[in-house]
Amino acid sequence: MDQNQYANELIGSYFLQQWRHCSKTLTLTPSNPGTESDSTRPDSEYEDEREECPTELDTLNSSGGFSVVGPDKLSVLYPNVNLHGHDVGVVHANCAAPSKRLLYYFEMYVKNAGAKGQIAIGFITSAFKVRRHPGWEANSCGYHGDDGLLYRGRGKGESFGPVCPTGDTKYTTGDTIGGGINYSAQEFFFTKNGVVVGTVYKEVKGPVFPTVAVHSQGEEVTVNFGKDPFVFDIKAYEAEQRANQQEKIEYISIPVDASHGLVRSYLQHYGYEGTLELFDMASKNTTPPISLVPENGFNEEDMYAMSQRRTLRQLIRRGEIDETFAKLREWYPQIVQDDTSSICFLLHAQKFIELIRVGKLEEAVLYGRTEFEKFKRLSEFDDLVKDCSALLAYEQPDRSSVGYVLRESQRELVADAINAIILSTNPHVKDAKCCLQSRLERLLRQLTACFLEKRYLNGGDGEAFQLRRILNSGKKC
Amino acid sequence: MATKKVITKEDWEKRLNDVKIRKEDMNRLVMNFLVTEGYVEAAERFRLESGTEPDIDLATITDRMAVKKAVQSGHVEDAIDKVNDLNPEILDTNPQLFFHLQQQRLIELIRNGKVDEALEFAQEELAPRGEENQSFLEELERTVALLAFEDVTRCPVGELLDVSQRMKTASEVNAAILTSQSHEKDPKLPSILKMLIWAQNLLDEKAAYPRISNLSTAALEDPAV
Repeated sequence: MDQNQYANELIGSYFLQQWRHCSKTLTLTPSNPGTESDSTRPDSEYEDEREECPTELDTLNSSGGFSVVGPDKLSVLYPNVNLHGHDVGVVHANCAAPSKRLLYYFEMYVKNAGAKGQIAIGFITSAFKVRRHPGWEANSCGYHGDDGLLYRGRGKGESFGPVCPTGDTKYTTGDTIGGGINYSAQEFFFTKNGVVVGTVYKEVKGPVFPTVAVHSQGEEVTVNFGKDPFVFDIKAYEAEQRANQQEKIEYISIPVDASHGLVRSYLQHYGYEGTLELFDMASKNTTPPISLVPENGFNEEDMYAMSQRRTLRQLIRRGEIDETFAKLREWYPQIVQDDTSSICFLLHAQKFIELIRVGKLEEAVLYGRTEFEKFKRLSEFDDLVKDCSALLAYEQPDRSSVGYVLRESQRELVADAINAIILSTNPHVKDAKCCLQSRLERLLRQLTACFLEKRYLNGGDGEAFQLRRILNSGKKC
Repeated sequence: MATKKVITKEDWEKRLNDVKIRKEDMNRLVMNFLVTEGYVEAAERFRLESGTEPDIDLATITDRMAVKKAVQSGHVEDAIDKVNDLNPEILDTNPQLFFHLQQQRLIELIRNGKVDEALEFAQEELAPRGEENQSFLEELERTVALLAFEDVTRCPVGELLDVSQRMKTASEVNAAILTSQSHEKDPKLPSILKMLIWAQNLLDEKAAYPRISNLSTAALEDPAV
């Protein structure tokens, strides 16, 4: 395979892979016509939005018979006299706390401190044996009401630091106690009547269950997993944590014109010629003027075939595929030489899609029959051919499960593919791989991968990097 | 100290490949940069060339840029008029900004050698503000000190005459306008770049993996052994 073919195939198959990614993530469910249903995303990045949250107390695994869970599954009573330390009434939530986020929080209200006020709130893992107070054994953490101490599986309780502003960390009838997890800081935190009592490092890794426990006669507590407003202002606390984190990030210094350079490089890479021209002109007139002299970062080779790339992008964005083919044959015949290449498939498929878009169904069928025929022999395109052909089955194809191909994003994909392949024809380009992504994209991928690995090493805790969320937020990211 | 997990370049590249970044999101990020930094015409053209919608009305950018430019060129009175045309509340609700603009006016008068005018201006316009606010008074005194020196290069507050002072004031007024228009004053891209460095620094504690140290080239390095 010669250099050309190698580049063509590398680039072609890369974009086909991107297409496949799209089909998984943008598939509409028939019940949500016209909307992009976030919840269908299987990507690990978007798991965050699909985690289960505790809603009530679990009644199956609670310590056999010592405690009684109310019918609403949100209250616990210890009816009998306790005999010893292994008859604690421990009850945990119906599922583990969701962890792919910054914070988790829940509250417990002490309705009755009973005979001895031996109540606890905390977190346990599934390995914990539910007969002892959370914190008395490993794999758990608990804040106890009778002594106001924190227990984390070491037998002895520790006092919180800093000292609770109200002075006393014990709690009893009428108090509302909250237990929370700060995944970013990897700590547990507890509150009493709306005020933070203290934090402790989260040694336990993996999923943890919000837990409450009662131990003396008459003790009764209710729990709130978010159905009712919390006594503690968790939103303000979260905002504070984010602001702290953001402050640390903003403190980091980056080269002065890094952003400017990346934007310029982006415009060059994708062939946004008009924008680049105006951008450069305006940059010269800024005070102080931004230097456009290529440093080690700037690659003048990205100016290669700028006009042609821009022209082709505009043609594809308008759905004019025949014209696209014509221009390619004129300017870069080697790209469209092999009519069964991935690049040609992308173009033919797009033509088919464009015919469907304007309702020329008969013409589309004819086109499909002639063009898709040759691709049918090559199994690598099967699934995508299927997606395209499926459009014919619907009266309103844009609302179907394959409607995603009718979106702008599909045209954009084809335009980016053609852009990349033209860049690869530059004799100065050593490896076609560098034509695939702009520098900005590479940085964003690196950022995402680092967040995911960091999360993985934290036992799955914490948020992923989501560009979309940052773009949609009204404040700084 | 626990040993670090080692991730090979090959393994890491596979993960990078699995990340899904949408072109339209990147376009939005670039548009946000163009718009917040005031590249109006480039933003307009980008909208046409990429089909990305700007997140604020481009017309408001032109006005804002005119104000910024006026300050950068030393035409502070003109800038103040323009700001008031845009939204009189901006200066009303921003005494510090207003003081800095007046201070800049004073600096320009001094720069142009208009000593009498400068003194009059300082006494009538700025001194009253200085009485209300200690830090304003200190700033005023610093500025007036420029007049005491024939050779400005020997003046300890000579930096006030530097073009960077104009830039500072221009930035301040730019931010105030953006805030009044309920728009963030900073582009998101620089924060994202800082986030990358921050994330890598954190990950460095636990793993050895291919890093990107040069933000301009975005080149992937081999993992440190």
